[in-house]
Amino acid sequence: MSTLKHKGKGPQGMTANELRSGLNVWMTKDFEWSRDYADAFLTEDEALIEKMDSVAKAAEAANDVVGAYFIDTVDGVPARYRERFRTHGPSYDTADLIAES
Amino acid sequence: MYRYDEFDAEFVNSRVAQFRGQVERRLDGRLSEAEFRPLRLMNGLYLQLHAYMLRVAVPYGTLRSDQLRMLAHLGEKYDKGYGHVTTRQNMQFNWPKLQDVPDMLADLASVEMHAIQTSGNCIRNVTCDPYAGAAADEIEDPRPLAELLRQWSMLHPEFSFLPRKFKIAVTGAPTHDRAMVRAHDIGIEVVRNDEGEIGYHIIVGGGLGRTPVIGQTLRAFCPKDELLPYLEATMRVYNRFGRRDNKYKARIKILVRETGIEEFTRLVNEEFAALDPSDIAVGKAERDRIAAYFAPPKYESDIKAFDLSAQPEAFRKWVDTNVVPHIQPGYAIVNISLKDPDRAPGDITSEQMRAVADLADKHSFGEIRTTHQQNMVLAHVRQDELRAVWDGLVAAELEDANINLIGDIICCPGMDFCALATARSIPVSQAIAERFKDHARQQAIGEMQIKISGCINACGHHHVGHIGILGLEKAGVEFYQVTLGGDATQTAAIGDKMGAGFSQEELIDGIERIVDFYMDEREEGERFLDTYRRLGTPAFKEALYDNA
Repeated sequence: MSTLKHKGKGPQGMTANELRSGLNVWMTKDFEWSRDYADAFLTEDEALIEKMDSVAKAAEAANDVVGAYFIDTVDGVPARYRERFRTHGPSYDTADLIAES
Repeated sequence: MYRYDEFDAEFVNSRVAQFRGQVERRLDGRLSEAEFRPLRLMNGLYLQLHAYMLRVAVPYGTLRSDQLRMLAHLGEKYDKGYGHVTTRQNMQFNWPKLQDVPDMLADLASVEMHAIQTSGNCIRNVTCDPYAGAAADEIEDPRPLAELLRQWSMLHPEFSFLPRKFKIAVTGAPTHDRAMVRAHDIGIEVVRNDEGEIGYHIIVGGGLGRTPVIGQTLRAFCPKDELLPYLEATMRVYNRFGRRDNKYKARIKILVRETGIEEFTRLVNEEFAALDPSDIAVGKAERDRIAAYFAPPKYESDIKAFDLSAQPEAFRKWVDTNVVPHIQPGYAIVNISLKDPDRAPGDITSEQMRAVADLADKHSFGEIRTTHQQNMVLAHVRQDELRAVWDGLVAAELEDANINLIGDIICCPGMDFCALATARSIPVSQAIAERFKDHARQQAIGEMQIKISGCINACGHHHVGHIGILGLEKAGVEFYQVTLGGDATQTAAIGDKMGAGFSQEELIDGIERIVDFYMDEREEGERFLDTYRRLGTPAFKEALYDNA
């Protein structure tokens, strides 16, 4: 089960990794998961945060995602550098060079 | 190369079947993530910053050509067309899907490979001098020793849950350490005693990470017969007294430091005296059996005269930097640089892996080495075939002539891939490589080892770089701290910390300033490291921070 605890500051987002692919996902306003951070639902509403928590726990229990946790955001972007970095993937990947060639 | 027997094959195949079942149970929910995580880590599967990562073991950095082709196949079929050579001579794949990993492991098992003990608090892949068996300066080929250690440490029942991970490196050339033995939990040098007998110098308590330490002599000469019992005794002392309450103080280097080398040695000797050596000691017959697999290849004697002056300049430059002498007259050791300035250090595409495998088949007895400096080696190439090898490398875009020069940078994946990283390291290495891309300038600078880590865990070995770079982050901004004067060889040293960190742009300018300072100040024949040691920290620090 999840060990999610909401202790954050500012609007909260919910992130995790897809169990099968391992790719990063964020919870959307429909309480689904998206690989695109632009779809992430950010809120300070305590009731909605509670719902995000329970949906994430259910998604972990259903083996859809793994390692779900809340992230703090400022002006629509994650507050922590690491979390900002997760939203756009590697700044360099040899795969991109292979795709270009 | 060592050939595994039917028991090895059965074991690896059964492990694949076990993991297939574990993945199935994870996917259908019979295993929770908490239950599954230690199982996947035991099979080299991490969940990193953006995706899963599979780390494949390359025992002592030695590959057959069919094994390298299999790695190419994995990269192409299950990943994004490339692999990454690590600083432990292994190969990582950055984008596997969980449901594909059992098939990847089954494919690996078909060529006697696996990902076991590439993670977890166990004895990890034993690393080795990449020139083993080919180097003119070695006392004895260390690969039979590395293979013996692999067999001893694989699934060792006592040492599968150590206080922390455990890394062993071996070299047969103590006067030219290319395996970084003094920066390992245990480092072993093949040595000869006054009576001319060959044995082992055992070094303990080295390591990098957040507490960098140079290892100390545990036993100056260990007879071959006593090696495994002595290592067993050492591991028992560590397993018993190593801290388990704090992962940051759990490595053997902390135990040795806190106990003191004299007391630690006494404890090991006491344990050794209490052991029954016959339980574990390996006699000459078994050692010879293993060594027979590493007998020198069938060298040919019809090597044609090789006139380098008649060859193109680019080829001559490559020979000058990437080719080193071989113990066998007429042969050479070829280093293949994986340091294309446009790519991440250590990355190699599947297409390139196949090209290297083909070159190994045609020109180097079908064998390839990976190096802890994230390159590859063809260990036994006829000198009159060097041009053909170079032509093949040019066709594969692997002809970079920068081995041991400033462009030959060791670099961890950093925040671009690693979940532990605090800053990126790949773009820094690329920016340095770009600044110093002129080959003539690289040659003029001479031997230079820049090593970059994206966090304090030091997978990029920055503590022992001539120039070490540590990436950190504060308030959302990456910055880079510099150490100077580190040394990974037989004269091992931890680099001296300079001062305040730099932004990436400032860093590249600062590095250029200290390189220019060295060029201005060096005396005849001095490497960067020599000049640094002669002039000391303050002079270089002044240049680094432009305080002149």
